[in-house]
Amino acid sequence: MLIRPISLSIPVFLIVFTFQEAVVNQFNLPGGGFSIFMIFALVWAVISTPEIAALLGFGAGFLMDLSLSSGGRVGQWTLIMIVVCYGVSYLGYGDENISGNPVGVVLFVVFASLAAEVLYIVTALLLGVSVGNINQILLILLGNFLWTLAITPIALPIFSRLHLNIFETRSSL
Amino acid sequence: MRQGGGNRSRLLLISLIVTSLFLITLDLRGVSVLDGARTGTQNVLGPFQRAGNVVLSPVKNFFSDITHLGRTRTQLENLRIENSKLRRELIIRRNADGQLSQLKSILDLAGTAEYKVVNCRTISQGSGQSFSETITIDCGSNARIRTNMTVISQDGIVGVVKEVSANTSVVMLATDPTFRIGVRVAGTQQIGILSGRGSSTSTLQLLDNLTTIKVGDVLLARGSISNRPFVPGVPVGYVTDIDNSAGEIAQSGTVHYYANFNNLGVVAVVVGAPVTNPGDALVPAKPTPKPTPTVTIYVTPSPTPTN
Repeated sequence: MLIRPISLSIPVFLIVFTFQEAVVNQFNLPGGGFSIFMIFALVWAVISTPEIAALLGFGAGFLMDLSLSSGGRVGQWTLIMIVVCYGVSYLGYGDENISGNPVGVVLFVVFASLAAEVLYIVTALLLGVSVGNINQILLILLGNFLWTLAITPIALPIFSRLHLNIFETRSSL
Repeated sequence: MRQGGGNRSRLLLISLIVTSLFLITLDLRGVSVLDGARTGTQNVLGPFQRAGNVVLSPVKNFFSDITHLGRTRTQLENLRIENSKLRRELIIRRNADGQLSQLKSILDLAGTAEYKVVNCRTISQGSGQSFSETITIDCGSNARIRTNMTVISQDGIVGVVKEVSANTSVVMLATDPTFRIGVRVAGTQQIGILSGRGSSTSTLQLLDNLTTIKVGDVLLARGSISNRPFVPGVPVGYVTDIDNSAGEIAQSGTVHYYANFNNLGVVAVVVGAPVTNPGDALVPAKPTPKPTPTVTIYVTPSPTPTN
């Protein structure tokens, strides 16, 4: 039943991941920039069922782990994205005030992105991956938060429309 | 909030989490399949990153030029239509000239020290999902690049190669807070350890409590065993501030890197170290102060009429 939408999602994920690596990473943006791929995965997770969100999180996290520039352990982003995507979907799915409201989705994505970054730091410390000094971490967290807050409302209509076309279950925002 | 997720949902979640923990365990145990997967992904992404770099270079430079033009918006709008084609060509040409200039300077530096270098272009800068300061260059194992090789620019040390795929490599910049390099002061030969701190400056910690440093001292890479990760003699930076705290065992200070980390269009990876240590041969020349002309005016009192 889920085979068709999941198989259709794979090329979309690959395209967005390639866009992140080949285009977004070209710009040396202040505050560490943003991850359009993470925004994409989180937007889809918010407007999907928890089961699909967990699968999306697994796929997105695994792709992020495969990037040489991710720096962490393979599986680290996979674990974080599964937890965060499932979490946002579990909290938001079924509540139209959140998943049916663009403002709610944006806020969920922004705070979920922040939570994912914080979880990355925590797991990196547990796994012995270097993450830099506290000033740099705070600067990147703040920068990432603000960039995600700025980019998500712009990207949300495109991402939600793609989700609608593939899953055909939710209304476009 | 949704109440309860159902058994199937929980089973799926647990399965996925166990899979991710399995991947982490495999990575921690150093299973080469995962490294191969990462390298393979980079091999696939490499051409896209190179294409992105080529396509976006004019755009990146275009925004930079607009910032520096300082013209009014109206004037820009009028001029843009007329000059767009010409300007694009000019920017591409300027980009090429800039890279050529950087390349020439790198070759001058490498030639003086007799380093064998491979010149590479920066195709990606860092990552939004990482806390480390890195760049990706368009050279990999096919160009004899290996991990733990020194990366230099025309001004001095840039960083060290951390990951290598067939056609691309990831370089950890010297600004990364986890970056450490053994240095010696040009001339006095005092040694210390330099640590990155996420900006264009770094922290120097001398190893000997009997030696002192002064502002303006030039630091060079001390070199490593078998010249990896650092070849000797590469200019690193100069001392800008000294910490003379009474509690310190040895003197420490702040060092400004010579390399401009915002302008790393072309870098060179040192694939072969010199037979002999270049010593202080690469110490950058100090800027010669321009004499300020002084004008002395002698006032001659006009003769006053006497009555």
